[in-house]
Amino acid sequence: METLEASLEKVFGFNTFRSGQKAALTALESNQDTLAILPTGAGKTLIYQLYGYRHPGCVLIVSPLLSLMNDQVDRMRISGFKRVAAITSQTGYVERQVILEHLNELQFLFLSPEMLAQPQMLARVGQLDLSLLVIDEAHCIVQWGPDFRPEYLLLGAIRTKLNQPLTLMLTATAGKVTRQEISKQLRLQPQVVTESVDRPNIFLDVENVANEAEKQSRLQALVAKLQLPGVIYFSSKQQATDTALWLQQTTGVQAAAYHAGLSGEDRFRIQQQFMTGQLDLICATSAFGMGIDKNDVRFVIHYHLPADLESYAQEIGRAGRDGQPSIAILLYAPGDEQLPLALGQSNRPDEATITRYYAHPQSFAADDPVIHLLDFYRGHGISQAAVTQLFTRREKERNRALANMLAYARERRCLRQVWLQAFDETSPAHSAACCAPGEVALDLDQLELLRQPTSETENAPTDWETRLNRLF
Amino acid sequence: MDPADLLQLLSEQQDRRLRVIENLLRGRRTVSTLYWGLRYDLLPLLNLAKPLDRGALDAPAQLLAQQGLIAGDSAEGVVHLTERGQTAATSTTYYRPITRQNWVNVDLIAARQRLLLAVQVASQYAHSTSRYYPLATDLTTRQAVRRWFHRVKGPDLATNLREALVSSLRQLPAETAAVVTDQFTGYQQPGYTVSQLAQSTNRSAWEIQLMHFDGVAQIALAAQEAQHPLHDLFQPLWAVPVSRSAQQTLQAVEAGGDLARVARVRKVKLSTVREHLLEAAIMLPATEFPYDQVLSETIRQRFAAAVTGPIDSWQYMELPAAMRDELDFFYFRLYAIWRMKRGDSE
Ligand SMILES: [Zn+2]
Repeated sequence: METLEASLEKVFGFNTFRSGQKAALTALESNQDTLAILPTGAGKTLIYQLYGYRHPGCVLIVSPLLSLMNDQVDRMRISGFKRVAAITSQTGYVERQVILEHLNELQFLFLSPEMLAQPQMLARVGQLDLSLLVIDEAHCIVQWGPDFRPEYLLLGAIRTKLNQPLTLMLTATAGKVTRQEISKQLRLQPQVVTESVDRPNIFLDVENVANEAEKQSRLQALVAKLQLPGVIYFSSKQQATDTALWLQQTTGVQAAAYHAGLSGEDRFRIQQQFMTGQLDLICATSAFGMGIDKNDVRFVIHYHLPADLESYAQEIGRAGRDGQPSIAILLYAPGDEQLPLALGQSNRPDEATITRYYAHPQSFAADDPVIHLLDFYRGHGISQAAVTQLFTRREKERNRALANMLAYARERRCLRQVWLQAFDETSPAHSAACCAPGEVALDLDQLELLRQPTSETENAPTDWETRLNRLF
Repeated sequence: MDPADLLQLLSEQQDRRLRVIENLLRGRRTVSTLYWGLRYDLLPLLNLAKPLDRGALDAPAQLLAQQGLIAGDSAEGVVHLTERGQTAATSTTYYRPITRQNWVNVDLIAARQRLLLAVQVASQYAHSTSRYYPLATDLTTRQAVRRWFHRVKGPDLATNLREALVSSLRQLPAETAAVVTDQFTGYQQPGYTVSQLAQSTNRSAWEIQLMHFDGVAQIALAAQEAQHPLHDLFQPLWAVPVSRSAQQTLQAVEAGGDLARVARVRKVKLSTVREHLLEAAIMLPATEFPYDQVLSETIRQRFAAAVTGPIDSWQYMELPAAMRDELDFFYFRLYAIWRMKRGDSE
């Protein structure tokens, strides 16, 4: 068999691997289940693409994000892999039939977890010769699983039904607890390939504000002087939409909102506008980010407190992929922890609800997501006591994760140390170029992140015929 | 749909429009919805917003009620414009599509998808790029555009397509031509989203969509010409706006045969035959429906003598009992359709 480097050269035209890629591939080549924890932008997908190229059979990729999957399929087709398909709940009936008819010919198959959990689909996949099972965004087993995507919890059982194929788990961030939980859920003992999550070129900053009004004016002031482009994360679609409009009108920055409520067509346009520099600022929910590779994002601001440091690390990781100075700013007002707390609780049934549900399951409406979740567990034969215990444990984990996030927001000495500690890493010694906790003033000039006055390249307005001509 | 968009579709007198609008947008084509769609001149809305949730217009209706622009019972779907509402509706420069009479004859949603992808593919091809992200769209659209592209690609494609588009868009108001152009995605031009266009033109998102539909319909009309570069891509999307089974019933009736016999031959109930005929009568021009055969001169004369005043005020139950025994509700409704098709709207 040709060397990994030779394959890399042939398929992608590169002659060296990025760090982490080779270690993961080497482990897989020696038939070791592998958990690869590599930062966003490290080229995780190359690992399974190259493995799929080197081995006969089909690589099955389970991914939680529908938009990300279609994006990935497009990308692979562009880079020359033709036998690629994705089936999700959004795949139309006809298209699904076409894919199913050609299932045996596929080299790469992307499935959403709920699609794979369907018995018929699982039976079809079971007949395939799987060279590799890939669990993408594997942290979702822990972060999202019990609350939002119960199907991820079935992956362990599903993997057993598929005769325990060689498995690659991919994630950008996973602390010790998350790693253990992933291994436990999937019932395996993987080799862990990891790189430091630290991103020395991202300056960390927490801005304390007294209340919502002060937060908004602080945000406005920051956007007015920070070097662009940037991303601001929100917990609500409405707030992302409203703020994009407000910032565009008051600061003159070209801004747009991006969230799961947009049509696929509009998501495409916003992404492309941001990539081509027509937009300088995206006001996003967590739906934005995965699958975007824009290297020169200079700042990531969080308007709301994230639920845990792992999501935070993932989201600030969109900044500074080009290695240039960048900044991650968290705006914090006292009481901000109430929102993630409430969001967590609204997704979780309390003990009384669980008891009432198990007494009379038929009398509950299944369109309530919480009831849907309980239907799911009950349907899989999980007892009331076990479900209660599951949610109690889950709540404790969430509270612990939120407490860590809050500790970051309230840290007085070194933010990087708190962050890296959550991933069992030791931080380099704190310096002025490292971070600015809440009470420390932010000096954007010193950080070379002040917006430079740009020469006005105001394009003369053109009529529609000229714009149409330009297309062709 | 914003309250301002809904305002444009409501009326001072006809207070049962709300549910008809919702059902048409969502593509619920019952005979009753279609009949009232015809009656209120709302049929062009058919199928334009299929993903709309049931009851999605209730919230904008409530807002209009709060502003005093409509009155009635919005929860029951019975609302009419107040005097202030009427003034507000007519005083704005709300967008009025110029191609709307053609909309029921072409699948505008599919045509728009095909147009966007075709323009993107042709634009990238004109700039010799083959590696780009295609617009995410459904399989049928992708396959149709792929087949089309392989047939038409060549050195003249970009020029031909550009000229064809320019000539169609020139027939629209300049603002519409600009909004239609700016939705296109292509080489180094991502295009603008509906909400961005709404913002820059100071119009509602629904108005922008109406402009898009107007542009697509204008281009589709031009593409009926066999030499048009989009002819092959658009032609399959033109269709008689009558369901297949209703078309079969209509053919059987036209071939001669009273309705009861057609029902026996087609193995359907008489009431189904009547529903099919009503659907066809509503959706087709008067010349394409055999009124003389189904609604004889004698029947028309009897109705003409029995009903008076505006069509909306006619009541089947107020006809003499003897007449009702003899003439089913079907004839009553068909007579109203015939009158409307002749242009007697009162
Ligand atoms: Zn520090």
